[in-house]
This record gives sequence, structure tokens and C-alpha cells, in this order.
Amino acid sequence: MSAVIAARNLSKRYGKRTAVDGIDFSIPAGRIVGLIGPNGSGKTTTLKAALGLIPFDGELSVLGYDPRTQRDDLMQEVCFIADVAILPRWLRVKDAVDFVAGVHPRFNREKAERYIANTSLKPSMKVKEMSKGMIVQLHLALVMAIDAKLLVLDEPTLGLDIIYRKQFYQNLLEDYFDEHKTIVITTHQVEEVEHILTDLMFIREGRIVLAASMEEIGERYIEVMVSHDKVSAANALQPIDRRTVFGKSVMLFDAGAAGASNGISRQQLAALGEVRNPSVADLFVATMKGTYA
Amino acid sequence: MNTMSMKWLIRREFWEYKGAMFWAPLAVAAALVLLIGGTMAYGLAMHPMPSHVTINGHAMNGYGGGMTLELRSRVAQIASSMYLGAALPLFGLLTAVVFSYCLGALYDERRDRSILFWKSLPVSDGMTVLSKAAMALLVAPLITIALGTAASLLLLLIGCVAIGFNGVNVLGPVLASPDLYLSPLRLLALLPVYIVWALPTVGWLLLVSSWARSKPFMWAVGAPLVALLVVKWVSVAMENFSGTQLDLLPWMQDVVARLLTGVVPGIWFAYTGGTPSMRPDEHGLDVSSLVSHSYATLSGADAWIGALLGAAMLYGAMRLRRYRDEG
Repeated sequence: MSAVIAARNLSKRYGKRTAVDGIDFSIPAGRIVGLIGPNGSGKTTTLKAALGLIPFDGELSVLGYDPRTQRDDLMQEVCFIADVAILPRWLRVKDAVDFVAGVHPRFNREKAERYIANTSLKPSMKVKEMSKGMIVQLHLALVMAIDAKLLVLDEPTLGLDIIYRKQFYQNLLEDYFDEHKTIVITTHQVEEVEHILTDLMFIREGRIVLAASMEEIGERYIEVMVSHDKVSAANALQPIDRRTVFGKSVMLFDAGAAGASNGISRQQLAALGEVRNPSVADLFVATMKGTYA
Repeated sequence: MNTMSMKWLIRREFWEYKGAMFWAPLAVAAALVLLIGGTMAYGLAMHPMPSHVTINGHAMNGYGGGMTLELRSRVAQIASSMYLGAALPLFGLLTAVVFSYCLGALYDERRDRSILFWKSLPVSDGMTVLSKAAMALLVAPLITIALGTAASLLLLLIGCVAIGFNGVNVLGPVLASPDLYLSPLRLLALLPVYIVWALPTVGWLLLVSSWARSKPFMWAVGAPLVALLVVKWVSVAMENFSGTQLDLLPWMQDVVARLLTGVVPGIWFAYTGGTPSMRPDEHGLDVSSLVSHSYATLSGADAWIGALLGAAMLYGAMRLRRYRDEG
């Protein structure tokens, strides 16, 4: 199976500012990829390029289409939720369902209606009468009923409370995702998506700084609660991050850094203290150190 | 597939602009019927028709059945050919509605960012812009024609009944007059002429709507007017200096007029040099000549050059919508 999204030397400049700086990446089918980066790192720009919403330089192929020239074909097989609540205020629930059913050949009306029936949305309701959470529910109901090969979610749960957020991802996993589909998610709430992701991509200042599957990350990054007496020994192994929790040093090591002078092994680290897998959030913070400095 | 999408796109426009496209003209039509109809009925009830009607200096003893058959049929003729004039305010409203609709159609979706939702569906930019142009050039005028005809017929009926209570039966002759039935069809026949002449304005407004980052009205109306003022100023300066006017000026005036006033129904007479003589003759207003005169305006190249430029501007609006960032 060829890549769902393949980018080579993808760049995007806004005037003098470079938003995306010649990145290469490839996303295979059947994955849930978290595209994670600080504000202004180029996440949204990358996704917009892939969705044919902006012109760009370099090569980019999405489901075998060029988003610049074949956007109309591409949109038959791709769906996305952009980073802002974008359903127009005058739209009614039933009109929204009718419209998408009318224009989208892959839309399953029953599925959308079933999903809506499980919410407090009423068919005659207008978007302007809805809460933020209800708008996202409606949008998700429409999108999930579309049998798209690629679903792009740009901060889909922004501004929602934790109940809506949990429900959102649960629905996505239970009712939507399967091995023929690919989902790309960007979000700031890393903790909430990390268990559903199969792959991670960290992006910083327009460059991809880490791209790996969750298994690879589990093998490569190791967090150690270092005992007091072993701190200097641990520091000698060049941790990529250190912080203090309840008086204990917690250090993060990269055991597989390419070209690293130190071939740190898990056993070696286990001698220093309690070993565990870091959370994506901690890994993210460690990787992005100095971004806003 | 494409016609299906078009149908839904037009329906979507209608949902969004139902207020301006349907309720506003309906309200105006209802007000017309109430005001004019009420005044007619009230007036004729309170002040019965005079027993002497003076026509062309001949006093006629025409109270009630005394009104001559000839006079009666003449009244009926005039009424049945001119009754659609009552819908005139609706066509004024149409101008305003189409103008503001076109200015907002591609701007509002970027401002409220709903464009990102529409763009997440397999509907091309070309189809979307075409649906908006069709809304302005076809759907809005058709609604106005339908409502205008309905309101005018109602008013005609009220008038006939009111006169009937005064003992003059014009309803029969009015109903028998072919003009009664032909007038709405003539109105419909004018629609293609309207489309051709309105295209430059619709194209221009949609182009600005698709392009402007803010204040589309200022750009759409202000920019051409400022350009015209500059040219005028240069022309005046030249006249003082060398005694000749700038050749560009009359041309520029035409262009600005065509860009901004094309959506006014009947404006084509103003573009092509004055209205045809429209004085009611003894047969009432000759509305069929209105149709033929209107079609005659299409014989010049002006109409078609404008329409072509309008289509080009629509194409420009499509291209702009493709990559115009929503902000």
C-alpha cells in the first residue's frame, strides 16, 4: 500500500516568513497520526497544503492526487474538520444533513441520523442556537457518516469541555476508524489523544523534528526516576530533559538517537533508578525546549 | 451528479438568504396589495365615481350602465396591459437585493469561515460561484416576477371589483383581454435580456466579494467611483491646459455605469440611448413593444462585450476562491 500522504521538500512561505521549511514525510494507510507542534510551527499550514487550500512549493501527493491541480477529485475521498467552528450560523441540522447527502456520494445518511439521535440536537435547530459542543457534535456526525479514506482533524475539540472531548475521540475510534482509513490529528491536548495515536510527528519552526510510530517511541525514549546518589552518573549519559518531581530527578533519555555518541541501553538506565515510558506530553515539552525563548 | 450538486447549492443559497430573497419581496408585495388595494377600495367606496367623466373635453354622461361600451373596453384594455406596473417597487427591491447578495455571497463565507466547511465537501469552486451567479441572475428575478405578477393580479382584481360596485363592470372585458395573460409572459421574456445586461455587474460584485479582505462595498463601489473622479479631474485639467477633453472620460463613465448599475431592471434603455416612447396610446400601454425594444438593445456589441467581461470576472472569482485564505 502506497502512502496516503507523501511530501517531498514541501515548503510554504508567507512573504518573508517561512511557515513550512522543506519537509519530507510519508503517512501510510490505516494509521492515526498525531501532528504535534507549538503555535505557529506550521501544522495547520501543512494540513492546508495537503487539502489543497493553499498553494505551496515542493511535491505533495495525497491519495495519489496533487492537491493543487486535482482538488476536486481529492475531496471525494478526503474530509476534514478545520481548527475553528466553521458551520454557518444559519444552517439547520436537517438542512445540513440534506445538503451533504445531496453533494457527497460517500455520505451515509442513516449513520449521520443515528449519531444525531444520540445527541440533544433537534432537526430544526440552527447552528446559532447551539452550544460549542453541539456544533462539534453536528460536524462530527456529518463527517463520520462520510466514508472518506483520509480524515484530517485540525484542533477538532478546541474550546470543548473534557466530556465532549473524550466522547469525540471515543466516537471516532469506535464508529469511524478502521484499517482502510487514515486519520491525521493536530491538537494541543496531547494527553487526550496519545492512547489513540499509532504514529507521532513533532513539528517545530516549519521542520519535522520527530516522526515515528508509537512503538518506536516506546523503545527509543526512556524516562528514569534517578536516585539521589546516581544523579551525576545519569547526567554523564546526556539526558535530553531533566526535571524534579517531589525532590527526585526525572530524566529523559533518547536511547536510539541517530549518531548519538552514547549507545545507552535500557539495562544501563535501569541501574540508575526506576524506568518507565515517558508521556507524549513530556516528550513534546522536552523536544520543543527553547521554542518560545 | 453535477446537476444534483447545483440543485443543492442553489437550495443552500436560498436557505441562507431566504430573508432577502423571499420574505422581503413577499412583505413588499403584501404591503402593496394592502396599501394600494385598500386605498382603491376605500376611495371608490367613499367617493363614488362621478356621473360626468370628461375625456378629451367631451363630457360623458357615464354613470353606471351609462358608460359606453367603448369606454369600458378601453379602461379594461389599459388595466389589463398596465397592471404589472404595480409591481414596480418589487423590481426596485430586486435591484437592492441582488446588489447586496452579490457583494456578500463570497465574502461572508470567508468572514465566518464557513468556506472551510463548504470546501471540505466535493463541490468545486466553479460550481459554487456559478450557483451564486444563478441565484442573482435567475432565482431572485424569477421570485420577483412571480410575486409581482401575483400582487398585480390581486390589485387588478380588487380594482375591478371596486369599480364593479359602482356599477361599471370591467371585470369581464379585463378577463377577456389577451394582454392580461400575456403580460406576465412578456415579463418572463425580458429575463434573458436582464441576464445579459446584469452580467457585468454581477461578475464585478462577485469578483470583489471573492477578493476583498474587508469592506467589499467600499471596494466595489468606491474604487470605480474614485477612478472615475481621477479621470474626470485629469480631463478637466487637460481641458484648461490644451482645450481638449480626455477621450477616456466618456468611456470610463460607461464602464463604471455598467459595473454598478447593470442589475437595475430596464437599465438597458438608459445604456443604449433613452427609453422608447412609452406613452400609453388608445390601446393602453404597448407592453409588447417593450419586449421588442429590449431585445433590440442586444443587437449592439456593447451588450455582449459586457456580458463576456462579466463572465470573465466570474471566472476570476472562481480562481480567487480557490486559494483565497480565509484569514
